[in-house]
Amino acid sequence: MNEHDITTPKENEPETFVRFNVSQRVEHVLLMLAFIGLCVTGIPQRFYGESWASWLIVAMGGIETARLMHRFFAALLVLESLYHVAYIALGLLRGTQEPHMIPRLQDFRDALNMLRYSLGVAPRQPKFDRYDYRQKFEYWGLVLGNLIMIATGIVLWFPVTMTQIVPGELVPAAKEAHGGEALLALLVIVIWHLYSVHLGPVHFPGDISIFTGRISKEKMIEEHALEYARVVGITGDKITTSLEITPSPSAGPEGGLISPEREH
Amino acid sequence: MMPSFARTAEVIGVAFGLLVFLLLLVSGFPGSAPAIEGAPPLQDGTPHPVEGRGDCLACHGAGSAKPVPPSHTGRPNTTCLACHPAVPAAPVDAPPRPSPENPAPSAPPQSFAVQGDAECMACHAQPLDLTFANGQKLSLRVDADAFGSSVHGGKLGCGDCHANISQVPHAKTRATSLREYVTAQYEVCKRCHFANYTKTLDSVHYQVMSTGERNAPVCTDCHSAHTVAQPNEPRIKISEACGRCHVQVYADYRTSVHGSALRAEDNKDVPDCTTCHGVHDIYSATSASFHLSSTDLCASCHSDEKMMDKYGISANVLQTYLDDFHGRTVNFARQEARTIWTDKPVCVDCHGVHDIKKANDPESPTIKANLLQTCQKCHPTATANFSAAWLSHYEPSLQKSPIVYLVKVYYWALIPMMIGGLVLHILLDLWRLARNR
Repeated sequence: MNEHDITTPKENEPETFVRFNVSQRVEHVLLMLAFIGLCVTGIPQRFYGESWASWLIVAMGGIETARLMHRFFAALLVLESLYHVAYIALGLLRGTQEPHMIPRLQDFRDALNMLRYSLGVAPRQPKFDRYDYRQKFEYWGLVLGNLIMIATGIVLWFPVTMTQIVPGELVPAAKEAHGGEALLALLVIVIWHLYSVHLGPVHFPGDISIFTGRISKEKMIEEHALEYARVVGITGDKITTSLEITPSPSAGPEGGLISPEREH
Repeated sequence: MMPSFARTAEVIGVAFGLLVFLLLLVSGFPGSAPAIEGAPPLQDGTPHPVEGRGDCLACHGAGSAKPVPPSHTGRPNTTCLACHPAVPAAPVDAPPRPSPENPAPSAPPQSFAVQGDAECMACHAQPLDLTFANGQKLSLRVDADAFGSSVHGGKLGCGDCHANISQVPHAKTRATSLREYVTAQYEVCKRCHFANYTKTLDSVHYQVMSTGERNAPVCTDCHSAHTVAQPNEPRIKISEACGRCHVQVYADYRTSVHGSALRAEDNKDVPDCTTCHGVHDIYSATSASFHLSSTDLCASCHSDEKMMDKYGISANVLQTYLDDFHGRTVNFARQEARTIWTDKPVCVDCHGVHDIKKANDPESPTIKANLLQTCQKCHPTATANFSAAWLSHYEPSLQKSPIVYLVKVYYWALIPMMIGGLVLHILLDLWRLARNR
C-alpha cells in the first residue's frame, strides 16, 4: 500500500492527504502512553530527595507500586519498539515503504538554510520533503534514547542476571544513564515537541494529523512541499515557482538558499 | 443551836481522817508492788513480739539504738525473757496500704513507732532475711557505707523511700515471691523521679510487664536499690546494665567497633545502648518504623563531619546510600505507611546490628571478601560482579568508578547543551515570525 495515496484523483485535487496510516497512529498513541507513564512513575525516582517526588510516589500507592507500574509501561514501550522495527523492516523488504527518515546531506543544508532564514539572510524557508530535519532529529533522538533507556532499564530490572554477563560497575552506570537520558527525553519532549506541534504559532493549539492521519493541502504544500510535488507529479523548476504559497511580506535581505547545485 | 454531841463527833472525824492520811504516807499507796533492788518495775513484758527474733542483743546490745540499761551488761540473750515475758505475735495479715479513703490503721497495741534511720539500722545492719512463701529469700541487710556513698547518701533517709514502714514490727508483706515484692516496691522511686517514671510507661519494658511478665525490668533492676550510682560513670556501665538481661546482644556489642572503643577508652563519640534505644522510654527495636528510621539514627553521628573526621571516616555515607537503589526505596517507603517492613536493606542489614565492625575489619560483613556473602542474604544467586555494582559509599570519580563518573559528566554536559540549542532554535523561529508580521 502506498502511504502517499491521494484520496481523490489528481485532476480534482483533494483537500486532504493521508499522512499517517492506522498502524502509525496507533503506534504514536502507544508511545505517548508509555512515555507519559514512564515519566510519571520514573522521574520522581530520579528526584528522590524532592518533596513533590515523595508526594507523587505516595499518591501512586508507594514506591513498590510505582516501580511495578514503571515496569508495566517499560514492557509496553519495548513491545511497541519491537513492533515499530518489525513494521519498518517488513515494509522496506516488501517495498511498501520508503526510508523517508534516513538523514541525508540535504537535511544539514536545510538546517543551515533555516538558520539563515531565521537570521534574515535568506528570503525563504527551505522546502521540505515528507519529514523535515527537525522531525528527523526528534525521531532519531527518540530511537537512540529508547535504545539507551531499554538497555539500561534491563540492567536495572535484572541486576543479578545482568551482572553474570557485564561488570558490576555498569549497574550504577546504567542507573546514572537511565536517569540522565530520562531527564533529557522529558525536556526535549516538553520543550521541543510541545513547541513544534502544539504551542508554536504555526500549529497552535495543535497539529492533530498524527491522530486523524490526515493533513490539509495547504499544510502539505507549506510544510512538505517536496513531498507534495512528488505526490502530485510536479517536477523541476515548477517546484520553486508554483509552490510558493506563503511568501514573506518582508522577505529579508537579498540572498539565496544553499542548494546542492550551488555547493557543488 | 447545835447540840454538844454533834460538835464532839465532828472533832473525832477530822482527827480520824488525819490519822488515816498519816498512815498512808508512812506505808505507801495500796496496790504498789514492793520495790526490788536494781530492777525496773516490770510492765506487761517486751514492747514487741519476739517470735523469730531470738537475738535480743542484735537490737538491744551496747551501742545500738535501744541498748539495754548499763545494769544489764553481761546478761545473755537467754535471760531476757525471764523478766520481760514475750507478747504474742502481731496478726499475720498485713494491713491494707494506707490511702486517703482508707487511712492507715493504728499500729497493733504492742508496737512502737520508728524514730529514725539509726533505729532501722539497729536491725538492718545485721544479716537479716525475708523469706517468701515460695522459699525465695531477700536479704534485708543494708550496707550503711555503701548507701552513704550512693547518689542518695546524705540526702535520703530510710523512711523517704520506705514510707509505708512506720512501726516495729513491720506489717508483713503480701508478696509471695521476691519478684512480686520488687515490682511492688519499685514504684517508690516515682515520688522523686516522676518524669523518668512516666517515660518508662512508654517503654517496651513496661509493655512487656503489662502483659503480666514480672521479669520485665523496673528501676531497681538497672539502678540497684541502696547503692544507686551515676549510671554513666563510666558510660560502659549503662551497656553492662542492659547486658545483665540482654546477654547475647551485649556480647556482640562489647567486641563491636563501638563497644570496644567505649570499653577501652571511654570514648565519648561511640553509642552505648541508650544512644540508639532511648533511656527510660526504650522503644521497640523490632518494629517496622524503627527499622525504617534507623538510617537517621546512624546518620546522626555518621553524617557529622567533625566527628567522622576524627576517625578518618566519610561523613557522606547516608547521602551515597540514599543515592543508591536501596536507599531511594527505603527513603520512599518511610514516607508511606511506616508500619510496613521494607525488604530493602538499611544500614544494619549489611553492617550488622550490635556487632558492627570497622569497615576494614576482616570480620566485617561489608569488607570486599565478605561482601558477596552479605549480598546473597537477599540476592541468593548473586555473583561476584553483582557485589561490585555497589559503590561502597564512594562518590563516583575518575579514581573510583570512572564509568559511572563519566556517564554523569556526559549528561551533565549534554542536557544543557541540547536543551540550550533547542531553545535557541525556538527563539530564532519566533523572532523570524515576529519580524515577518
